[in-house]
Amino acid sequence: MSRFELLTPRSVDDAIAALRAAHGTDVAVLAGGTDLLLDIDDGRAAPSRLLSLRRLPWRTLDWVDGAPTVGSTLPLRSLEDDPELPRRLPGLWQAVHAVGSVALRHRATLGGNLGRAAPASDLVPMLLALDATVDLVGPDGDRRVAVDEFVRASRRTGLGPGELIRSVRIPEARPSAYLWQRVRPANDISQIAVAVAFSPSRRGWSVAVGGMPPRPVLLRDVADGLGAGRPDDGALRAASERASREVEIAADQRASEEYRRRLVGTLLGRAVRSVAVGPEVAAA
Amino acid sequence: MSEPAGLRVNGRSAELEGMPDDERLLDTLRWRLGLKGTKEGCRTGDCGACTVLVNGASTLSCLTLTREVEGADVTTIDDVSTDPELARVRDSFATAGALQCGYCTPGFVLALAGLLKERGRAAPVEELLDGLQGNLCRCTGYAAIARAVALAREGPP
Repeated sequence: MSRFELLTPRSVDDAIAALRAAHGTDVAVLAGGTDLLLDIDDGRAAPSRLLSLRRLPWRTLDWVDGAPTVGSTLPLRSLEDDPELPRRLPGLWQAVHAVGSVALRHRATLGGNLGRAAPASDLVPMLLALDATVDLVGPDGDRRVAVDEFVRASRRTGLGPGELIRSVRIPEARPSAYLWQRVRPANDISQIAVAVAFSPSRRGWSVAVGGMPPRPVLLRDVADGLGAGRPDDGALRAASERASREVEIAADQRASEEYRRRLVGTLLGRAVRSVAVGPEVAAA
Repeated sequence: MSEPAGLRVNGRSAELEGMPDDERLLDTLRWRLGLKGTKEGCRTGDCGACTVLVNGASTLSCLTLTREVEGADVTTIDDVSTDPELARVRDSFATAGALQCGYCTPGFVLALAGLLKERGRAAPVEELLDGLQGNLCRCTGYAAIARAVALAREGPP
């Protein structure tokens, strides 16, 4: 006896209809499955049906004016291997590379990572710092939501009934970096992670912190303190100290609060220094 | 009702009629098809012992539903005597003495064979070692495995 029935709709309309017909909690959406199947094994989830997205035409990657739209079921390894990615969005390349291992990334997907909304997701902090948006399809049509709005808490997202993640859009190429701390470099979960990006269009920084519950967060005041270009040592130190002090951090079995606070500052300093944004300018 | 799934495993077609939807590729290989070369380690995607190739790409068979890869070509360590590239990688592990109990070796060989397919032998050795970070060995330490990687890059075609 199978613990669940696997549904493999051949069109987006069929998928939405099947999802609606299956009523909320009883059906789980399956992309790569590398996280969902663990929950099923552990009994944390017991869906009677899995809706597989594998037949939907969403294994796509489109670049327009240097900015990518990533189909939700594109394997992370394919995203990582795109020659444009490390050049245009180095921080996103680093974040994708930080997920699991090569074999895991051959199946894991960006849509799956967002849909699972893991507090320690390596991708969500970087997507936040890049101002990424999620394109959803559903019974009432398409809509676009900011990642910051979409990801709410572990396993909780802004997906409505019958809705699916079609793609993730990143608005522009940005100098960026993603640094993490964990016990083991591969197949491990970050204890803390810092994503930074510099937006050329608005001449300002974004800073996001992840790796801790309940979800990755943007630190807007810290980012503003970094100014409109490469910050000098004083501004960077002040921003790092502020990030350590102000970030909302909880302890869990992976790391203490104090350890995480110290690392936020250290990683932020290193991440900003590693981003190439031209000559040093005084902070605003 | 599920449709019958088929696979090609090591070049032979495998009938999977009546297979439950929740069956993992690891269990299909080991218990349905009797191919015991692929090892079960952690069953949580942490150790890499169950690595096989699915359409040439290294894949954790413990975290893959068999029905999700129906129609695919699957390569396992059991094919080492007929696949020259796999045999070459296996030989480099043997020559370097890169194994002790051998439990992790099939996963390492398949993971490295997959990387060499993706990146080619000209790939920097650091990149290949980086690509093997998902595979754990608890016996040898990794120095001998690193030597096996170097040998697999440099060995005869």
